[in-house]
Amino acid sequence: MTKIGLEIHCQLTKLESKLFCSCKANYREFEPNTNICPICMGIPGSLPLLNKSAVEKATLIAMALDCRTPDKIAFFRKNYFYPDLPKNFQITQLNAYGNTSIGWEGKISVGNVKIRIRRIQLEEDPGRLIYEGATEKTKLTLVDYNRAGTPLVEIVTEPDFETPHQVREFLNILSDLLENLNVSDPGLEGAMRADANVSIEGGSKVEIKNIGSFHDLEKAVHFEITRQQSLAERKIEIVQETRHWDDGRKITVSARTKEEEAEYRYHLEADIPWVRINDGTKNQLQIHMPESISSKKERYVSKYGITPQVADILSSDRYFSELFEKANNETNAKDIANMITTDIMGLLDTREKRDASKLKGDHITDLVEYIKSNKITRASAKLALDEVIKNGKRLSEIIEDLNLGHVSNEDVLSGIIAEVLDEEAKAVEDSKQNPDIVNFLVGKVMQKTRGKADPELTLLLLKKHLDID
Amino acid sequence: MVSEEEIAHVAKLMKIELEDHSSHIKRVQKMLEYFDILDNANVESEEIIVQETDLDKLRDDKYVPYDKDLLKFLNSYQGKYVKAPKLN
Amino acid sequence: MNLGISALNYVNGIKNNEFTVEEFISESLDHIKQVDEKLHAFLRINDFAIKNAKEIDAKIKSNQNVGKCYGMPISIKDNICIEGSKTTCASKVLENFIAPHTSTVVSRLHSEDSIIIGKTNMDEFAMGLSTEFSAYGPSKNPWNNDFVPGGSSGGSGVSVAANECIASLGSDTGGSIRNPASFCSVVGLKPTYGLVSRYGLVSYSNSIEQIGPMTKTVEDSAFLLNIISGIDPNDNTTLDNKNQDYLSDIDAGIDGKKIGIVTEMANSDGLSTNVLDATNDSIKTFEKLGANCEHVSLQMVPYTVAAYYTITSTEAGSNLARYDNVRYGYELDSSGFEFNSYISQARSKLGPEVIRRMILGGFVPSAGHAGKYFSKALKVKSKLITEIKHVFEKFDFLISPTVPIQPFKFGEKINDPVSFMMVDFNTVTANLTGIPAISVPYKITNGLPIGIQIMANNLEEHSMLQAAYALEKTVDLPEVQI
Repeated sequence: MTKIGLEIHCQLTKLESKLFCSCKANYREFEPNTNICPICMGIPGSLPLLNKSAVEKATLIAMALDCRTPDKIAFFRKNYFYPDLPKNFQITQLNAYGNTSIGWEGKISVGNVKIRIRRIQLEEDPGRLIYEGATEKTKLTLVDYNRAGTPLVEIVTEPDFETPHQVREFLNILSDLLENLNVSDPGLEGAMRADANVSIEGGSKVEIKNIGSFHDLEKAVHFEITRQQSLAERKIEIVQETRHWDDGRKITVSARTKEEEAEYRYHLEADIPWVRINDGTKNQLQIHMPESISSKKERYVSKYGITPQVADILSSDRYFSELFEKANNETNAKDIANMITTDIMGLLDTREKRDASKLKGDHITDLVEYIKSNKITRASAKLALDEVIKNGKRLSEIIEDLNLGHVSNEDVLSGIIAEVLDEEAKAVEDSKQNPDIVNFLVGKVMQKTRGKADPELTLLLLKKHLDID
Repeated sequence: MVSEEEIAHVAKLMKIELEDHSSHIKRVQKMLEYFDILDNANVESEEIIVQETDLDKLRDDKYVPYDKDLLKFLNSYQGKYVKAPKLN
Repeated sequence: MNLGISALNYVNGIKNNEFTVEEFISESLDHIKQVDEKLHAFLRINDFAIKNAKEIDAKIKSNQNVGKCYGMPISIKDNICIEGSKTTCASKVLENFIAPHTSTVVSRLHSEDSIIIGKTNMDEFAMGLSTEFSAYGPSKNPWNNDFVPGGSSGGSGVSVAANECIASLGSDTGGSIRNPASFCSVVGLKPTYGLVSRYGLVSYSNSIEQIGPMTKTVEDSAFLLNIISGIDPNDNTTLDNKNQDYLSDIDAGIDGKKIGIVTEMANSDGLSTNVLDATNDSIKTFEKLGANCEHVSLQMVPYTVAAYYTITSTEAGSNLARYDNVRYGYELDSSGFEFNSYISQARSKLGPEVIRRMILGGFVPSAGHAGKYFSKALKVKSKLITEIKHVFEKFDFLISPTVPIQPFKFGEKINDPVSFMMVDFNTVTANLTGIPAISVPYKITNGLPIGIQIMANNLEEHSMLQAAYALEKTVDLPEVQI
C-alpha cells in the first residue's frame, strides 16, 4: 500500500508583525533587506520578543484541525549553519519535554478518508537566497533577509494519504480552512510550501523537499510513486533518502545529504519562557473562531434553502461567503447566493480584482431587490455590477448615471405617478373639473424621469388613477 | 573515554577546523571525562523546571518599522543584498 | 582628589560642590592613563567623557533636573552594547563590530546621568575566570600584578579596585562577577535571573546569565541595582520587582536570621587553607551579628560544575554560531570560498577556550550523547532548584567562600582544564538555580583578597544586601597600593 505523509509550511500572512520582532510579516512589498531589524538579523545583544497574536492564530489552526492543545508552549533552537539563517539556528518547537508544541493529534476528513495530524508547530521562516554568477568560480549566494522571522506554522500529517489525488484534495480543503480562519492568504506567493514523504508497499520512506507550490506537490508525489513502482518492478531496492523536486525538469532528484545535516542539537530557547495558555484563553479563541466551512454550508442549505452545490461554492470561499453574509437579509438569501455565484464570482476571479473591488454587501442586497421589484432587468443589473465594482457608488445613483432605469415598467411608473399625485394635490383636485389637466401631470412625470417615461403608458396609468375615461 | 576521532568529527560539524587539533582535543577529552560525574547524580527521574510567563504578557502584534539603516552596520553586501559564499 | 570614594560619597561630593563632574572625570582619565597600561582593565575609553561631564555640570549649574548618578564614571564590560560604539567581547571575531543598539542597563544609567567611562576587558565571550582568554591580553590584579584579577569580568573588577571608576557593570554566567569581585576585593552582585534585563548583553549562556554591579561598597551595589533592575519590554525573561528600593533599611542588620553554611562548598577538596580560615572567621562574625549559623548540605552541588559546563557549552555553541562573518565581523571576502570552508575560516579567529567550548557544545547535546550529558545536566539543574527551594524554607541565607582559592598566578592553572573548572565550584549554584548571590570583600591574606559569598532566595536581593552590609561593616581592609 502506498503511504504519503505531508509537512506543510504555512505563513501567518494575516499578522502585522514577524514572530519575534516588529518588522512586517508580509515582506513582499519591500526592497531587499529593508524589512529587517537587530532581532530578525540576530545582531549580538538582541532578544526574541514573541508575538502574542501569532500564538493565538496558530492555536486557532490547531483547534480547527481538531488537535489537542497544550497548557504551555515551549520553543527550541534547531541548530544548523546556512546563510539564510541569521543566527545559524531556527527558533521552532519540539515535543521533547511533553507536548509543548501548538497542537498535536488532530484530524481532518478528506472525502471518506480521515487524515491524522501528528503535530502543529510555530516557527520562524528563514531569509531568501538568490544565486548569481554563471561560472563555478564566480558563483555567489546573495541573501535577502526580509523574510527572516516571518511567522510560520508547520503542519505535519501522519502518512495517511494513499493517492496524489487525496493529497490535492487535502491541500484544497486546508487552503480554504486557513483562509476561512483569517490567518493566512494561501494565494500569496510562497505563503504555502510543503514537503512530502512517500513509500510504497515494501519500500523505504523517501522524503521530497523543495516543493514550491501545492500544484507541484501533487505532481512530485505522483512522480515519486511512479519512480518507486518502476524500481520495485525491476527488483531494485528503494533506499531511504531525501530527494529534491527539480522544478524545471519536473522530477525528483536524489539530494546527497551530508551526515551533518541530521545533527540539529535541539535545546530549549531560554530567551522565551514557556507560555501558559489557560482554558479561559482557549475558550475565548473557540468562541471567536470563524464558523467552519462545513457548518457554514450546512446552515446555508438548511436555513436558507440554498442548493448544496451553491452552498458548497459559497461557503468554501472566505471572501464570497463574507459578502453573502453581509448582503443577506434573510428574505432573499437564495437570490443573493445565486447572484454571487453566477455573476459576481466571474467578475472577481482574481485576488487583484477582489482587492480593487468597491463592491459591498449592500449593493448586492439592493440589486436583488431592484430586480425583484422590476426596477431593473437582469441584463442591466450586470452593467450596474461592473460599475459598482469600479466606483462603489450607490445603486440608485448608478442606475441614474447609466440610464438603466426601466421607465416603461408599469410598476416603476406607478410609483413615480404616485409621487407626482402626492406632490400635485391641487392639480389632482382640479382635474375633476378639468380633465385636460392630466397633460400637466404627464409633463410632471416626464420631468421626474428625465423624459424616459413611456408617454402613452403614463397617460393611461394617470387616467386610471384619476378615474378619467 | 570519548575517542579523539569522535571529538575531531564534532569539531568539523561545528565548523571548527584547526591546523593542530591535538592539544584542544586532549583538553576537551579531559573535560568530558570529568563530566562522567553526572552519571552518579541519580537524576534520571527528575522533571525539568523552566521559567514560565503568561500569554497576555507577550508583545502585541504591531508593525513598527525599524528606524535605522541596518545595512550600513553589515559588511560584505552587493547592492541591497548580503553577499554569502557559494553553496555547494 | 580622592578617586577611591564610593558612589554615594561621589554624589554627596557633587551636591556639596566639593568638585565638579568635569574635574572628577578628567582626574579619573588621567589616573587611567597612568595605571591602565599596566593593569589593562580597559579595552576602550569613551572619547566623549569630558564632553558628557561638561553637559552634566551645565545641567547642575542651571538647576535642571539631574539624574541620580550626577555624572559618576561607570565602566561597562565589553559584552554590553552601546549604540554606535564597538562591542568586541574581547574577541577578534567582533573586532570591528559596532552595535546598532544600546543595552537596557546602559540606557537606564544614561537616563540617570552617569558617564560611561570605558569598556572593560574580559575573557573572550565571557568564557573564563582570569581574563587570560581575552584576545587583547589579560588584565592584572591591582593587589599584585603577577596574579590574575579573576574573570570573566576581570577588567570591571580591576577598574573599580584600582579607582579608575566609581563602579562597573559586569555579567555573571557562572561567577563572572563574583569571582573577580573576590579576587580584586570589591563587591559583586549576581541578581536573580530575570531581575536585570539582558537586552544588549551579548549572549553566552542565556538561560543562566545576568548583568550585575561591581562596586566599592554594598550600598553602591544597592544604588546601582535600583537603577538597572526591573521589567523590560525588550526582554521576555525579565521580572517585575515593583520598583523595590534596595537601599532602604540596608542597615537593618541580621539579628535572628538563619544562615546555612553550604557544607559541600565550605569543605570542598580544592578549598585553600587561607580561604577556609577566612570562611570560619566570617561564620563567627555572622554569629556575633546575631545570626544563627548551621551547616546545610546540598546534595547536587558536587555535580554542578559538570552540569554548568555542559549547559553553557551547549548554549554557547548555539549563541556563537552567528559569528560566521557573513553579516558582520571583520574583512574577509567571501568570493571564491565555498560556504563551509568560509565559515571555518571565519571561526578560526576564535580563541582557544572558545574553540574548545564550541567543540564541547557540539558534542554534549548531540543526538548520540545528549542522554549522557545534556539531559542529565538539565536534570541536575532542576533537582538543585528543588533542593534550594527546600533549604530556603528553613534558612534566610546561604554562605560560602566566593571562590575556593585566592588569586593565582598567570599561567598557573591554564594548562589543567579540570582544576580550572573547579574554581567555579562555589559560584555556579546561584546561576543554575537563578537565585541572587553577592561577594563581599572579607580579608586580605598574604596580600591577596578573599571574598565571602552570600546567597538568598529568588528576588530576595533586599534582605541579601542587608546581610552583606552587616558583614561589610565588620571588616576594615587595607587600601590597595597601585
